[in-house]
Amino acid sequence: MNLHEYQAKKILKKYGIPIPEFGVASSVEEAKRVADELHLSHAVLKIQVHAGGRGKAGGVKFAKTKDEIGKVASGLIGMKMVNEQTGPEGVVAKKIIISKPVDIAKEYYIGAVIDRDRGVPILIASPEGGMEIEEIAHKMPEKILKMPFSFEGKLRTYQLVRLAKFMGWSGDLAKKGIQIANGLAKCFIETDASLLEINPLVQTVDGEITALDAKLSVDDNALFRQPEILSYYDPSQVSPQEAAAKEFDLAYIAMHGSIGCMVNGAGLAMATMDIIQLYGGAPANFLDVGGGASKEKVAEGFRIILSDPKVKAVLVNIFGGIMNCATLAEGVIHAAKELQIQIPIVVRMEGTNVEEGKRLFRESRLKITTADDLKKAAELAVAAAHTKR
Amino acid sequence: MAILVNKKTRVIVQGITGQSGKFHAEQCKEYGTEMVGGVTPGKGGQEILGLPVFDTVWEAKKRVQPDASLIFVPAPYAADAILEAEDAEIPLIVCITEGIPIRDMLEVKRVMNGSKTSRLIGPNCPGLITPGECKIGIMPGYIHKPGKVGIVSRSGTLTYEAVWQTTQLGLGQSTCVGIGGDPLNGTNFIDVLQLFQEDSQTEVILLIGEIGGDAEEKAAEWVQRFCTKPVAVFIAGATAPPGKRMGHAGAIISGGKGTAAEKYAAFERAGAVITKNPGEMGHAVVKALQKK
Repeated sequence: MNLHEYQAKKILKKYGIPIPEFGVASSVEEAKRVADELHLSHAVLKIQVHAGGRGKAGGVKFAKTKDEIGKVASGLIGMKMVNEQTGPEGVVAKKIIISKPVDIAKEYYIGAVIDRDRGVPILIASPEGGMEIEEIAHKMPEKILKMPFSFEGKLRTYQLVRLAKFMGWSGDLAKKGIQIANGLAKCFIETDASLLEINPLVQTVDGEITALDAKLSVDDNALFRQPEILSYYDPSQVSPQEAAAKEFDLAYIAMHGSIGCMVNGAGLAMATMDIIQLYGGAPANFLDVGGGASKEKVAEGFRIILSDPKVKAVLVNIFGGIMNCATLAEGVIHAAKELQIQIPIVVRMEGTNVEEGKRLFRESRLKITTADDLKKAAELAVAAAHTKR
Repeated sequence: MAILVNKKTRVIVQGITGQSGKFHAEQCKEYGTEMVGGVTPGKGGQEILGLPVFDTVWEAKKRVQPDASLIFVPAPYAADAILEAEDAEIPLIVCITEGIPIRDMLEVKRVMNGSKTSRLIGPNCPGLITPGECKIGIMPGYIHKPGKVGIVSRSGTLTYEAVWQTTQLGLGQSTCVGIGGDPLNGTNFIDVLQLFQEDSQTEVILLIGEIGGDAEEKAAEWVQRFCTKPVAVFIAGATAPPGKRMGHAGAIISGGKGTAAEKYAAFERAGAVITKNPGEMGHAVVKALQKK
């Protein structure tokens, strides 16, 4: 689960990481109130969306006077940001963060991720902040320091010494920097984060270090023990289909094509998208109904797929294991009747109870094409999506 | 000969009194697996499916001498269940549970890396099967057939698809191992490839990978250096958009890394037969065999 910058900053603050004073607003009135409360004579305003590249997209603005804050806010609140990361649909900023500007002397990068290969959390730091870490890694790999830290979120003294030297911090600055690294590592572990980034971390002209931006992604599997983070979930940042799928515990990801896909299992769902493309079509979505999906869940999955107006045909590909093909058939038939589906449906089933599933489809008198193997199913679905009706 | 499990393998189920634990214990038993007991804390002394239930893995170990444990414990407690099985020195631990927090797996991984007695398969996996002998997992048994293809995969149902294709082509499988779709898991591709390389029944290997991480790239490097058997490969997720978690926690392209294209390229360099069509995994295996 991704958090907004203001949410991440709220959390980081608890771990002793200095953040320039800020407030959050979802209306111009609120923005003005924030300016009053924080006694801002000028401010930085940033849209709160789950996507990077806000600066380039015009989502970060500077207000030079107090009066300008309201005006700038009205331009940003409700702004739709569209870039590579958001896809053509874009994301709408419901909220903005309003921060006290700081005078920057130098920018750094500091963050933490899980190293999948070694099975340890690692701290990543660079004295070259302000650009994406991938870009730093590409342009000047020698300017990146990676250090594993403990499962309790602790760095060892020698690591902190090394970090301070690497970042060029000494004296008071080193003390402040080390405090931030310690806070970050602890926060990473305690929030079950999969990614935590402060970029840029800045040194101000008056010798302070502070976090100008923050990015926090939390392991979805750990949300059951992270009630505060769960309360930060913002459904406005995903498509309505993705939000609905989440409610029913279905793994759904919107794509840009015309063939809706309903599959059990993540690997098979990806493979189904791949084969559609291979046969000249384009998938409208990724949808994994899961292993032991019920009839109701299957029907809900169908509803979600069909609520996307781009969908011109649906390919159902189920390899029954835990899932029973008859359950699937019941769910599809139920949804098809209830929603009075007009678009072609191609079903490919194999595995547990497949004969019963096929019988149910035959007797439903719905216009459903069945295919015996994956290749045939993909061909039929692509042809169906291309047929003009 | 096959790998890891055979008809003598004695199996217990952790979480046997739960709905899926019970269902699959029964399915495995029906398949012919030597099921010898189950573990559910607080339910010790009961009997289920004619099998004794114990409170702890340690007791089960003492009483029924299992070679393997199949875990269906819910995600919040699953890491503990794995650690308990390791502590009881169960040689093969197979964890089906999906959704274990990564932080819990850090500790599991550390313990498993240092374990002198146990191997972990999974979590978030379908388990493993030696057709006609032993099924420790949730895969439908009837699609398998004893034979010469060793299959290793990060997926569940996509593995069934591959199994089905090789069965229909009359090849059959030596052993099929699902290593799981999580970013942190126990047994990896290379561990299984090594076992297949040494196994006399396995004549050809089918590896099914997914986007995310670099386990496939590492496996490709190993194949290039050490594998003398023909290898066929499919990687799922060529059409997956970057930055999105594709169902499996480990299936995500981040920072431009972990794409299907990179993984295919690595296996091409290694001399494997690759197919980009999941409908032709079986044919890729046939092609690999002909290349031998």
